[in-house]
Amino acid sequence: MNNTAEKVAPFEIPPINLPKPTDSITHYQIQQFLHLDAYLLDHNMLAEWLNILAPDLRYFVPIRQTRERKDRDKEFSTKLGHMDDNFQSIAMRVHRLVNTGTAWSEDPASRVRRFVTNVSVWETDVLGEYDVTSYLLLTRNRFYQDDYHLLSAERIDRIRRKGESFELVSREVRMDQSVLGMPNLAIFL
Amino acid sequence: MLNKSTPTLRDGTRIEDLFNLETREVSLSTMYDPEIHQIEMEKIFTKVWLLLGHASEIPKSGDYVVRYMGQDEVIVSRDRKDEIHVSLNVCPHRGMHVCTAESGNAQVHKCIYHGWAFRPDGSFVGAPLEKEKMHGEIYPKEKLGLKKARVQLFHGLIFATWNQEAAPLEDQLGDMKFYYDIMFGKTHGGMEVLGAPQRLTIPANWKTAGEQAACDGFHTLTLHRSQFDIGNFGNISDTMDEFIPIMQGVNVAQKGNALRCISAATTFTSLIGSGEDFSKLSDLEKITKLPPPGIVTEQLLAEMKERLSPEQIHVCSVAPPQVGNMFPNVNLLFIYAPLPDGTLGSGYVIHTINPMGADKFQWITWFLCEKDTPEEIKDIIRAVAVQTGGTSGLIEQDDSDTWPHMTIAAKGAWGRTETLKYQAIGGENRPEGWPDKAHVYAGLSKDDAQWHWWLQYHELMTQ
Ligand code: FES
Ligand SMILES: [Fe+2]
Repeated sequence: MNNTAEKVAPFEIPPINLPKPTDSITHYQIQQFLHLDAYLLDHNMLAEWLNILAPDLRYFVPIRQTRERKDRDKEFSTKLGHMDDNFQSIAMRVHRLVNTGTAWSEDPASRVRRFVTNVSVWETDVLGEYDVTSYLLLTRNRFYQDDYHLLSAERIDRIRRKGESFELVSREVRMDQSVLGMPNLAIFL
Repeated sequence: MLNKSTPTLRDGTRIEDLFNLETREVSLSTMYDPEIHQIEMEKIFTKVWLLLGHASEIPKSGDYVVRYMGQDEVIVSRDRKDEIHVSLNVCPHRGMHVCTAESGNAQVHKCIYHGWAFRPDGSFVGAPLEKEKMHGEIYPKEKLGLKKARVQLFHGLIFATWNQEAAPLEDQLGDMKFYYDIMFGKTHGGMEVLGAPQRLTIPANWKTAGEQAACDGFHTLTLHRSQFDIGNFGNISDTMDEFIPIMQGVNVAQKGNALRCISAATTFTSLIGSGEDFSKLSDLEKITKLPPPGIVTEQLLAEMKERLSPEQIHVCSVAPPQVGNMFPNVNLLFIYAPLPDGTLGSGYVIHTINPMGADKFQWITWFLCEKDTPEEIKDIIRAVAVQTGGTSGLIEQDDSDTWPHMTIAAKGAWGRTETLKYQAIGGENRPEGWPDKAHVYAGLSKDDAQWHWWLQYHELMTQ
């Protein structure tokens, strides 16, 4: 039987305009890749983590501002970030952290856990490259703290097939705070 | 020491007792004490000129940003006449924030609570139901505007104060203006921000960052040791007591303002090191070889020569001002940074340290560049500066993780009885040819300049 009840809304409801996600096998593989990414970072395997970054990496954490709803398209800075890195500068950060013994912002190291969920994967114009979004909930605990610094964000990644696995080509981390709630970003998101 | 007017805390401690001016010590209790904090808000943050941002953040009529003066939110906006105004972001009707976004554009700011409206200059437009006299008849409209601060621009930097009697900003900068002019006044076009500022909360007293900004040279060797280990600050001998190039230069200070002018020859040899004898070059040749951030075209270099005096050019070529502060809560950093490809990047970083209670501050970080620097160079400068300073900066991430410890330490019954010591004294010492501007301490960077910060703090707090 047809449900004849009318859907009443005070305005015209627009259609959902999102591209079709990729197939379930690719989705699963990419989800596994994001788990690997989080595993390496959470276990402080930073030098090893460099393996999964592409040489042409762009890593960007834009500034976010509290704006009026009408200006929401201006919330994220397209130019200035809390982090703005390429592969070389990320490698320098990792080098400092793992090889110097004097990287005090992370020594003693924070206890960090990255919860990665809501993964969406889309094909792109480039064969073997995918647009991937995921949600990140990061807990960071340091020193004597009995609570956590929390950071939640949406990550917008470009991920490329590389042999049997993948590499991260770009990552934009869109934080949910306009004022960051921890004293630095000496960790990766 | 018998100063009757010096404020006294509830336990009988006089503010004066927190200092030992002879031995150059300050009680660690200053780094966490809600009572002292309250006195600071009155005696410092409502009295002095405070930095709020840069004119390039609000280029158009109606543009505004919301910032802090002490713990008060203020609206910084540009009106139709191109004038910049600073008004308290508190509705005179019943105390709602008038702006709830942190930036935007509006010719009228309408309070969302009951609809009172204000212009960018803070003046009262009116309340709804004009005929019914919603705003009453007790006060005329002229009395119902937002509370206004005095505003003064310094090379595009926006300063404001609540103190109607305050002398002009120049008085607060004193002779140090000579050096700040070098940093901010080199080109006709002036500087601009490279984007909206970074903001983050640090669970520490604002003075942990405030006093460090005023020429704490020694922490470079240890807290920032990793910079030597990865080769960013030149090499360092293992014995640490040898000649340490980056520690050499000229510290200058007055009225709580301090700057480290770091030897240009050292920067040149450790970062470019072409084998050329830098010290043999003329002042102008030196500046051409090691230009300040963004001065990368012939045109900009010519403007710099035109705008700065020969004395200022001399300072810039021998030891340009690179790290320091503006009293009370501004931190300046101008960096020459080696890029992974071997060339030299550089950038300007400015912080304000905004108290949010005795054990918390908001750190606001702007990245600036000469407006007329070519866009592609700006992109490099922006990335290098973000990788060096601010939230994730390889240098500054170590600072911001240190300050909270000091405030926690200051909460302890014994911790609060410890003192901060500034006893590494070099004495005034002006190199030949160096201008007679402010107190000059040449040689290895010691505590002399930094002590001026506390002298200024002491003076204001005991008034
Ligand atoms: S509080 Fe703003 S209009 Fe009433
Ligand atoms: Fe530092």
